[in-house]
Order: sequence, then C-alpha cells, then structure tokens
Amino acid sequence: MALLENAFEENALTTRVDWLINWARLSSIWPMTFGLACCAIEMMAVGAAHHDIDRFGAGAFRASPRQADLMIVAGTVNFKMAERVKRLYDQMPSPKYVMAMGACATGGGPYFKYGYTVVKGVDRVVPVDVYIAGCPPRPEALLEGLIKLQEKIRNSSVIRRPARTA
Amino acid sequence: MDFQGIHDRLRACNAPGLLGIDLPRGPDPKDKKDKGRAGDPFVLVEPSKLASFLTVCRDDERLSFEMLIDLSAVDPAKEDPNFWVVVSLLSVQRKHRLQIKCVLPKSQASLPSTVPVYRASQWHERECAEMFGIRFEGHPDPRNILLPDDWVGHPMRKDYEFPKEYHGISCE
Repeated sequence: MALLENAFEENALTTRVDWLINWARLSSIWPMTFGLACCAIEMMAVGAAHHDIDRFGAGAFRASPRQADLMIVAGTVNFKMAERVKRLYDQMPSPKYVMAMGACATGGGPYFKYGYTVVKGVDRVVPVDVYIAGCPPRPEALLEGLIKLQEKIRNSSVIRRPARTA
Repeated sequence: MDFQGIHDRLRACNAPGLLGIDLPRGPDPKDKKDKGRAGDPFVLVEPSKLASFLTVCRDDERLSFEMLIDLSAVDPAKEDPNFWVVVSLLSVQRKHRLQIKCVLPKSQASLPSTVPVYRASQWHERECAEMFGIRFEGHPDPRNILLPDDWVGHPMRKDYEFPKEYHGISCE
C-alpha cells in the first residue's frame, strides 16, 4: 500500500509553457558525432560508462546534423575545415547550440601565433554558447559545460525575449 | 654497410650527380663561434640528377634501397639563397640507411620528380611543393595535399607572410 495512493482526487497539473519546453529541451540535448582532434578523445570518454553523459540526457550522439541539437567543436578548426563546420551548423535544425571545447576551438590555443591555417576561435565561424577551457579539458569540464548549457536553456524563453540589462 | 661503404659503392657505380659528402663534426676549438655540425652524414647530390641517382640506389644489388622513407625540404634562413631537399632511403634487406641532400637555388626551385623511381614520394613531393614552392617537374598529380587549393603563398618558407583573412574569416 503506497503512501500516496488515493491521497489526491483527480487533478490537473499547471505549469508554464516556457518551463515545460525548456525542460524538454535541456533534458535531451543530442550532440553530433563530430570530433576534430585530441579533445574528441575526451569527448568519447565522457560518452563512455565512467563519466556517462547519458545521465544528463545528452548521450545520444547522432551521426547526422539533421538530428542533432548540440555541436561540440572538439578540437582544432583549420580554414579548410571551417567551411565544413559552418555547413554542418547550417544543416542542424533550430534550436541549436554550439560548445567550443578546449583551447583551440575557443581561441586558437597553441596555434594562435604560428598556426597559419588554424582559425583563431570557432566563434569566428559559428555562434558559440559555451566555452570550455583546458587543453584538452577533463571530462568533468565537459560535463560542467553541458550543465552550463542546460542552465542557459533553462533561463531562455520561447514566448518573450529574455530581459537584457543595459 | 656503413656510410663510408655506401659512399665507396656509389663512387664505384659512377652514380650520376654525386657531388660529395657532408659529415658531422665537433666544434672547432680555435673558433669559438663554430658549433660544429650534429646529425647524420649526408651525400650531396646535384638536384637535376636526383631521380637518376635514386635509380642507381634502388637498382644496385649491393645498395638495394627498396624504400623511400622521407622526402622533404629545408629553408635554412631568410638570407640563404638555397633550399635543401632532403631524401632518406632505407634498405630493409641490407639493413642500412642513406641521407641525401640537394642544394637547390631559391631563384630557380625546380627539379625532376622522383615518382618514377619511388612511388612513395608522390605525397611527399606534393607537400614539399605547397609548403616551399618547389616545382617537381613531371609529377603525375601536382595538386595541393594539405592546404586548400586556393591558398596563397608557401607557409614553410622563412619569408612567408601570414594571410590577413581567408574566405571572410579574419586571421588577425
């Protein structure tokens, strides 16, 4: 005999549309299977059992940008790749989010000065939501980046624009 | 065979374009600025005859270099009028190696392709061509291998200037 059984009469739950939609979105962020360099190894570690990104609903790595919500730019982006990254971003359906993982994707990293073909930050190509520091970042850092992204989604609104402070 | 033996054998075969040898040495005690030269012994070869030189290295049964390990280039300094083209060979059968160096003037940086001798050099020559602007005459597929097709300049040259932007992406 459960404690709550028959404790309530038939009820309706009320919530906000924003809360419901954001809850659905942040609980199933599907990332794209997409790695460019050594950061991708850490990303794979996050997908595996020990760190288990599935706890956050983001473990379904999709092999197609058309099914993905999140692009984790894990690694060095060079100019030849930048056009492909932009095209993959354009192929993703809205709402879509981008994470710049590691020093290279954030700002060129060790290739900042002498890397003649390295894009100095993937934010020059696609808009970035979350930057993760590290070279490469620990799996925990990627998970924290994901939690930050979830916070960002939780505070967004589909009905009205978020209030901007001047 | 050691380096001296290989060199003697090359002399005995009359290998075309063989100019001399370049040996490592310690610093000169009388000259304090002299640091000597570290590294492997080289044979110096005339660039225009590199391909026929490699043919001898491959086909002579005492040398029998079956394998081209690397073909690369060096830009020693901005003021230096020459490139070096460096080739490494390995004989698996005889268990010896050979380093070959060609001094190539920057003003006329072209030499015959070595692909007819060693097919392994195909990608090495393509990389060398895009990074240094060295022309390999008669290369079967002279496209860029790493850089985009419309890249301007040769990045591994010492006088290379970094691009300001590429396809609308700022490089500053």
